[in-house]
Amino acid sequence: MAKLHFENIKISGIVTTTGDKKVTIEEEASNYGYNEKMVKRLKKRMGFNSRYVVSDDNICTSDLCIQSSEVIFEKFDKSDVEALIFVTQTPDYKAPSTAIIMADRLGLGNDVIAYDINLGCSGFINGLLNAYTLINSGLKKVLLCVGDVASKFAYYKDKNLTPLMGDAGSAILIEKKEGFNADFVLHSDGGGYKHLIVPDGGCRNPFNEESLKEIETEEGIRRGIDMYMNGGEIFNFTIKVVPKMFDELFEYAKISKDEIDYFVLHQANKYILQNISKRLEIDEDKLPMDTMTIYGNQNSASIPGTINGFLEKEFQNRKKVVFAGFGIGLSWGACVVDLENVYTPKIRRYNEKR
Amino acid sequence: MKKDDFLELLAETMDTEEELNEDMNLEDIEEYDSIAILSLMSMYDEMGVKVTPNDFKNLEKVSDLIKLAGDKIE
Repeated sequence: MAKLHFENIKISGIVTTTGDKKVTIEEEASNYGYNEKMVKRLKKRMGFNSRYVVSDDNICTSDLCIQSSEVIFEKFDKSDVEALIFVTQTPDYKAPSTAIIMADRLGLGNDVIAYDINLGCSGFINGLLNAYTLINSGLKKVLLCVGDVASKFAYYKDKNLTPLMGDAGSAILIEKKEGFNADFVLHSDGGGYKHLIVPDGGCRNPFNEESLKEIETEEGIRRGIDMYMNGGEIFNFTIKVVPKMFDELFEYAKISKDEIDYFVLHQANKYILQNISKRLEIDEDKLPMDTMTIYGNQNSASIPGTINGFLEKEFQNRKKVVFAGFGIGLSWGACVVDLENVYTPKIRRYNEKR
Repeated sequence: MKKDDFLELLAETMDTEEELNEDMNLEDIEEYDSIAILSLMSMYDEMGVKVTPNDFKNLEKVSDLIKLAGDKIE
């Protein structure tokens, strides 16, 4: 386990933009071959309901993050931003790093550090860690952008994965400020890489004519260029590692569960979050779990998405908050941070007027 | 745990109203599906029984779910 402690670093703003189109499980049931009864069962047991996706293939994660960043810069001066980190699995191009293009689009000048990180469910924690590390080494402000347009890799017939996924992009501003501390614990296990994977299109399995052919299994229909998820393995992994990681975090940060005001976890689905909250004996009021039900699983944007979706009025007065992400990689991490006077406007859709 | 209590726990976990018995075929239980298997994995884990998704492949009867619980069932 990697453990890291930081002092005098603050999260000042969190803004999230979702896809512009809302779709419901009822509208999509026929794509997945679900009958009415199964839809009812999925809604009741797993919390399936609606998800927000982009309406046009040309809308990328970077576009959602740019909208979020522009809202951040209405409130904060961008001249002190010295780095832009973009965590995504859906970059604009295979190369170069999208962060560099985004820094230019945002007018951050030629002196910023900019790079992408390829992570999903644990991406917000790892991205935050990168931002804290850069501030700790002397930068004034870092803009962290996280998210995915999951529509790009979730095949419309994949009943196992696609009804879970939503599109979103968040922007988070991190800066130096006395009196704000954070502790992180992180893990990875490449032994489980096959359980969540886009197999084709990289160097190992280059894109080829087979990549677009449908593969039908018990778990659904998808193609080689789409994301595959072994739901059972991922669920089993989550219930085993997440409770243990919380114990590690509490011990390292020398805090008790009762001192935490909110637990904002990666919103894989409601069922997993209910399971975790029960195992950890955390009051459900302190652990929001409706993000996937309303917006879809927003990958690395699901933690900021939960803040802007459900807790946007909560972080004016000082609070101690735990963030935790877990999934693709396999990769999992958690941190405890002090939040106070954070700019957290209500979540908005892409191109939605205020 | 007593076998009867375990059968009740299985029914509750799978969210089925059927009264389960050892000889029932799993495929005859309408609610025994991928969602039920997630719930069962969590149930076994809480009982201290180590299971993986593969353990649920090729199970036929309710008695196979009892066997999976090993010595946790009296």
